[in-house]
Amino acid sequence: MTVTIKQATFSYEKDPIIQNLNMNIPVGFTLLVGPTGCGKSTLLKIIASLYPKYAGKMTGSVDLHGLKSAMMFQNAAEQFTMATPREEIIFALENLQITPANYAEHLQKAFEFTQIQDLLDQKIDTLSGGQQQRVALAVLIAMNVDIFLLDEPFASCDPEARQFLITKLAALAQNGKTIILSDHVLDSYERICDHLFEFKAKTVEELSSSEKEKLFKQNQKLHDQSYSFVLPTGQPIFKMRQVEISQNKLLLKQDQLDLYGKATLITGANGVGKSSLFKAMTKMIEYKGNFTYLKREIKQLKPRKYLTEVAQIFQKASDQFLTVTVRDELALSKKDRNQFFTDEKITEWLKKLGLQSHLDQVVYTLSGGQQKKLQILLMLITGHQVLLVDEPLSGLDQQSIKLVLTLMHECQKQLQQTYLIISHQTAELAQFCDYHLVFADQQLKYVER
Amino acid sequence: MNPSLKFILAFIISLEISLKASLTTNLIVIAFALVYLLITKIKTKELILLIALPFIAAFTIFATLYWFSPTPDPYYAWNLSTRVYVYTLTITCVTRNTTATDFSRSLEQNLHLPSKFAYGVLAAINIVPKMQMAVKQIRTSAMMRGMYLSFWSPVLYFKAILVALNSADNLAQGMESHGYVEGQKRSTIVAIPLTWKDWTIFFVLLILVNISLFLFR
Repeated sequence: MTVTIKQATFSYEKDPIIQNLNMNIPVGFTLLVGPTGCGKSTLLKIIASLYPKYAGKMTGSVDLHGLKSAMMFQNAAEQFTMATPREEIIFALENLQITPANYAEHLQKAFEFTQIQDLLDQKIDTLSGGQQQRVALAVLIAMNVDIFLLDEPFASCDPEARQFLITKLAALAQNGKTIILSDHVLDSYERICDHLFEFKAKTVEELSSSEKEKLFKQNQKLHDQSYSFVLPTGQPIFKMRQVEISQNKLLLKQDQLDLYGKATLITGANGVGKSSLFKAMTKMIEYKGNFTYLKREIKQLKPRKYLTEVAQIFQKASDQFLTVTVRDELALSKKDRNQFFTDEKITEWLKKLGLQSHLDQVVYTLSGGQQKKLQILLMLITGHQVLLVDEPLSGLDQQSIKLVLTLMHECQKQLQQTYLIISHQTAELAQFCDYHLVFADQQLKYVER
Repeated sequence: MNPSLKFILAFIISLEISLKASLTTNLIVIAFALVYLLITKIKTKELILLIALPFIAAFTIFATLYWFSPTPDPYYAWNLSTRVYVYTLTITCVTRNTTATDFSRSLEQNLHLPSKFAYGVLAAINIVPKMQMAVKQIRTSAMMRGMYLSFWSPVLYFKAILVALNSADNLAQGMESHGYVEGQKRSTIVAIPLTWKDWTIFFVLLILVNISLFLFR
């Protein structure tokens, strides 16, 4: 056994989120699943002994049997002390009292494992969400601890990177390391995970091999559906002519492209420039060339007016919040709402999304998935013509994904909104999106598949 | 030059100049700092800003003491207004070619300050560009929800403080999750050298400033 938890009860406020938990985690690859807000991140932070030191109250015991652990947070960007990946790795290795002579070896292992050679000396702030996750993993690899605690480590990774990293982690597990990982996407774990634990009623149960098989079969069904997209026609909403967007390096060089209404899925590898495209469209960063919205140059539009028509649902949910509690946030969005969202409609959706009982909670203390659901609801209540949606499904369980997509679909039907959606979860979004744009080699291109 | 030593030197010079009036020394320090900045190839735009911005403060002090004082004293007016430039230019020399990371490493290694303090300083320096970005982000996201936040809006700063508090808490957890334990010994992978050359420059400059302070008015 590497982790032994006995009679653990943990609570943030009055109600415990984990109750009487007894759990043994052996060496190998352990996957932790469960709906959003069930306590996966909390459990990982308890094992990392960050909780109850930094939040909450706990009774019971957690024993790591003298093994060293390190954790990767759900929101990778929040975990770095230093400015660049190399400095962060040095910082971590100095903490572990690694000598300068051994440093190079640790560093090399880390960047080879995660393929971040070319990112080592870039500012972490300027890296994309998926790249930040890889860097966070690299730090843990460099530290070479016994127990890796990974909280949705691939939520923003593109499918190739994800597959690559999972295979590598599996090799680590075979060499005697303990990997404890939480995830909502179950792809590629079937052959790899040795143990599968599921959160149920404030405690955790290990699934038997038949239950495991059933779960993975369900997941497989999702991907067996065939899907296709059509090429867009009609009146374009955005027009790009000789547009160039740069952040550190040139990301987009588009001679000519029109973006159309309805829902468009945008996919592409990590760091290719998807979020930067949205930033240029919301005037957060500059672009070169002509980029028009309804025949008007975006550069010249007043942000105050333009952003009430074209808005973004950010990758990081907490960036969207402006007040303190869920109730306050709802009140703010209601001020400017569209006709579809009556009070009854909002209450109905709060219940469906499981947020009704959190009305008085501070938004930042909601779980990652709950924040995401609230964020999407808030932005749909405000009536925009165009919504730029950056990874709406990351951190959401299958049930929540279905709900969020239904909500977006209903809303779009009523209001004829245009959605541009960045996501790596093509299978889930294929039903919902009409068009598919692929971002690669500094170009955006419509495809039918 | 070693970052900590550079900082201590600038600190001592600023302190001494505050206590003993000597216009000549002020001008010598200013000239020396400007030459140093030019040698280290400071950008013209930065240099112009560096001279233009403190000018407002320097001019106000000069005007108060020279034109609006009942007993105008030109020497005193010049002396106090040039001090503004001594402070800003010496501090610029300290930050020139020294990254925040090097500075905090130097505090930890050369001055043997607790690592908690050194990384606290680093976090404080690093948070400035982050806050600038956060303010821009907050204003954009407010406009997206039909709320216009001007630069003096309390909501803007309330949210900015929340962001800062949140990131401070995350930073503490982030450091610990990467193996940091308060008070525990750490190894040194990137050493910040403190050589006899650093010490020589330090004492030579300090002695020269002191000679000038006591010889010239």
